[in-house]
Amino acid sequence: MKPAPFRYVAPRSVDETLALLAEHGAEGKILAGGQSLVPLLNMRLARPQVIVDINGIRSLAYIRRKDDHLHVGALTRQRAVEESATVRRQVPLLWEAIRFVGHPQIRTRGTVGGSLAHADPSAELPAVAAALDAELVVRSPSGERALSPGEFFAGYLTTALEPTDLLTEIRFPLLPERTGTAFVEVARRHGDFALVGVAAVVRRSDGTIAEARLAFTGVGPGPVRARGAEGRLAGSAGTSRVFADAAREAAARLDPESEIHATAQYRRDVAATLARRALELAWQRSGGRTR
Amino acid sequence: MSVRTVRKTRGVVGESVRRVDGVPKVKGQFLFGSDLWAEGMLWGHTVRSPHPSARIRSIDISKALARPGVAAVLVAQDVPGKKTYGLEFADQPVLAWDRVRYAGEPVTILAAVDPETARRAASLINVDYEILPAVTDMEQALRPDAPKVHDFGNILRHIRIEHGRSAKADVWVEGYYETGMQDQAPLGPESGMAIPAEDGGVDLYVATQWLHVDREQIAPCLNLPLEKVRLHLAGVGGAFGAREDVSMQIHACMLALRTGRPVKMSYTREESFYGHVHRHPAHVWMRHGARRDGTLVYVYARLVLDGGAYASSSAAVIHNAATFAAGPYEVPNALIEATCVYTNNPPCGAMRSFGAVQAAIGYEAQMDKLAKALGMPPIQLRLKNVVSPGSVLPTGQVIRGSAPVRELIRRCAAIPLPPEEPAERRDPLSLPGGAGNVSRGERLKRGVGFAVGYKNIAYSGGFDDSAEARVRLFRGPGGAIAEVHSAAAEVGQGIHTVLVQIARTELGIEHVVLHPPDTNVGSAGSTSASRQTMMSGGAVQLACQAVKKDLFARVRRWAQAEGRTVPEPLTVEGGMVLAAGEPLAPIEEFLETPIEQTRVYHHRPTTPIDEKGQGEPHVSFGFAAERAVVEVDEELGLVRVVQIAAAQDVGRALNPQGVYGQIEGGTAQGLGFALMEEIQLKDGLIKNASFTDYLIPTILDMPPVVSELIEEPEPGVPFGAKGVGEMSTIVSTPAIVAALRSATGRELNRIPVRPDDLIGLSPPVTSPGPPPSPEVPGPEPIPKYVGLAAGQAILGGTE
Repeated sequence: MKPAPFRYVAPRSVDETLALLAEHGAEGKILAGGQSLVPLLNMRLARPQVIVDINGIRSLAYIRRKDDHLHVGALTRQRAVEESATVRRQVPLLWEAIRFVGHPQIRTRGTVGGSLAHADPSAELPAVAAALDAELVVRSPSGERALSPGEFFAGYLTTALEPTDLLTEIRFPLLPERTGTAFVEVARRHGDFALVGVAAVVRRSDGTIAEARLAFTGVGPGPVRARGAEGRLAGSAGTSRVFADAAREAAARLDPESEIHATAQYRRDVAATLARRALELAWQRSGGRTR
Repeated sequence: MSVRTVRKTRGVVGESVRRVDGVPKVKGQFLFGSDLWAEGMLWGHTVRSPHPSARIRSIDISKALARPGVAAVLVAQDVPGKKTYGLEFADQPVLAWDRVRYAGEPVTILAAVDPETARRAASLINVDYEILPAVTDMEQALRPDAPKVHDFGNILRHIRIEHGRSAKADVWVEGYYETGMQDQAPLGPESGMAIPAEDGGVDLYVATQWLHVDREQIAPCLNLPLEKVRLHLAGVGGAFGAREDVSMQIHACMLALRTGRPVKMSYTREESFYGHVHRHPAHVWMRHGARRDGTLVYVYARLVLDGGAYASSSAAVIHNAATFAAGPYEVPNALIEATCVYTNNPPCGAMRSFGAVQAAIGYEAQMDKLAKALGMPPIQLRLKNVVSPGSVLPTGQVIRGSAPVRELIRRCAAIPLPPEEPAERRDPLSLPGGAGNVSRGERLKRGVGFAVGYKNIAYSGGFDDSAEARVRLFRGPGGAIAEVHSAAAEVGQGIHTVLVQIARTELGIEHVVLHPPDTNVGSAGSTSASRQTMMSGGAVQLACQAVKKDLFARVRRWAQAEGRTVPEPLTVEGGMVLAAGEPLAPIEEFLETPIEQTRVYHHRPTTPIDEKGQGEPHVSFGFAAERAVVEVDEELGLVRVVQIAAAQDVGRALNPQGVYGQIEGGTAQGLGFALMEEIQLKDGLIKNASFTDYLIPTILDMPPVVSELIEEPEPGVPFGAKGVGEMSTIVSTPAIVAALRSATGRELNRIPVRPDDLIGLSPPVTSPGPPPSPEVPGPEPIPKYVGLAAGQAILGGTE
């Protein structure tokens, strides 16, 4: 199928974009990489009156370090992140996860901001943002604000973005020394939507877990942080037993849904295994030895 | 006459020849059915039932007809001739009237100036349905109180094979197995274009497997004589059985004849899942008995297959499931009962190795169970019991052709196993779920499984299988050229290349061209049942031999006229006529006028089976063995197939590279069935009609396939070559599932195996026992008893 008719505008700047969004309100829709929007248009699941194509705004595509954050412009292609030595060195969790986004063809067009703003419940990047406590910078006619993942992700395919808002930048905090991260996911085939994915961050202090963070994707309406398990891990010894118990506790609190590719029970069961493996891998990468 | 030196003809039988359609397909220049286009054409669209069972109260097409750009909207009353069609039995309405029997059944069709206008007009058609109770469970369909899918009931065919008698065994094993509904998932959707002709007839360009059987079904519905319905093969984007049945053919012709304009129809991916038949889901109960030394003494097999709403090729599918239910083993005593039922599920029909696949999943699991009970290696048990030439099958049929099954098993088992390196030293990508970074090798279990299987080549059960070919030898600018005219459908498997190789071999020239396949030559029969190499290959060989005979007669007449003595025998090679092995003259020197011959190839007659399932139903058999090595992540239920070792009985490989390709492709399709491919139905509705949700293996899911070809020529068939397209599909599924069982120790009796099954979240499927056998008038299909024959029955000469 082809999309329903729409008006097409291609602003050259953020200010121009904001003005257009303010003009069209809920009738306008931002086109970034188009990897989610175009199928929705073609299947006529979305019928915006106006497409605001921001691909011409070069100033929104960048990867740069600023103080203790890595700033990634919202229009940065996923492929650019994957190929960035800076990302690989500074935010390895983002680098590891981005390769699970679709296929190379998709990542070549798809953008970091687009994936976050689309907020697919099985997407990788929202879980990465959640696990890293990234800041999501939003511009609106009234100014700029930075949202935490908890504030930004509002539910199934829903964010805190108003129709007049533009996500412009994502700020990933750089992790301190002796911190390891891991992203793992289960899909039926390579490149398929994740049935369950887990992002883990573990900071080590000798044989003890100083801090741990765990975020799931594919098991809820949006990314799910396992705060209870994180609290339990902090201060514990980095042993297989501790990781397994925390992973089980985290999975037990999940409420995934059944669909044709996986039962809820499989998702919950596998979430526990994945969380344990992700935590252990992150721990090893922090320099810790598993006992 | 000038004399050239002779060199061997190149590109002949036995060489791995580059495919005739290879370069255009790789370059994207090949035109598939969906690429058809004509000036001023209209787009056809089908409106389908959303309900699995309903009565049509009324259809209001007025709003759609009034829409600008809509040229015609047609309902059942507009079908010019016969209202029903069918491959074996005409039980399927061209357009539904009164009743719909499955969700997706065509109810109205329309033509409009573009696909969007057509789609919008379709949404304006109002069909008022009275929803009726549906039967969507195959065993429920057998119960007397079940809703009736057809007036004559829910039994499509029941076959009983009695062989020997009951027997005493030292060891018995029992099993219950279920298989899901697989889809052929051809990448090219159902597509074609009908062009009305000045003589009141129609030319249909269509991607199909059998032009002539389509015509047999189309013409009566259009109320046209056969010769006014001319079919031409459009580029086929994969078939695997899905194109055996008519889909858009009659609809496009009706719309073209009504509007007087070319009408193109090309299904969307979602529609394609509703627009073709699927592999029959099966419930299988088996009991095997053996003596202590492993000798098989008894097999009981009960199979029920879900045929869905219409017959399609179900009668042949259940015939294969029944006649192959005991596997390629000598069994002195067997009782086999097989029933195919009608339900309100989407119709099931032909798919690669139909019937044989469902049977093999059962009997190979049973052989493994038996080996375990006997404490015998599974391969040894198979070697002890497999058939060989002279073996008697449960139908009483004696294997007359080649059956090198023991060698097949030995050669397959001798292929080196893949090395087992420590997981931590391996690329994580090579581990189960490795693409998701999930594994460093923890909880990894390796398993090895083995399977042997077989099926018939070409048509069975008394069907007079035949293929025609025309060969024209003429003088071209650079020498003699042969044109081969055959209606055999190239569906990607490589038959056109093989036909060219055969012509080169027989005529000793390299320049062979193919006439586009159409109905201006006689039927080639279907591209199915692994039959085209034998049947159309045989026809081309016969026609070439007749041409050669004419050529040699000309040579002898010329010699006589010249007063020369030409030493016999005459042969052809490298473009030359040879006399007693010495070059005489270039072939084209005898082609002042072209030589043309048309021949029909028939295979040895078979017979239908009788009340006790006895007869000589099959003409020839192809065997295959595969060994699968799998790795399973025991915690995640993820699988990686590490290696497939394959051995196949091919008679003789006419194009070895093509044979390897068929083995690998068939293995991939079997791997898909073992691990991921299933049409998921809920109350008769397809839940995953897309390639996002109907999963087929990608190259990343495929292991290396190490193949061995066993070349023991089949007596009495052209070049001794057996068909090769289907056998690997029979064995790869049971081999992979056996390997999964050996890795996990789980029963895994439902195919496809899901991750949940591998980690014990869902228990094995169970059954209270086989359903009672239905009362039937005899072993023939029920639609035949009620007088519904059509389609290939006419072409086969059994009408």
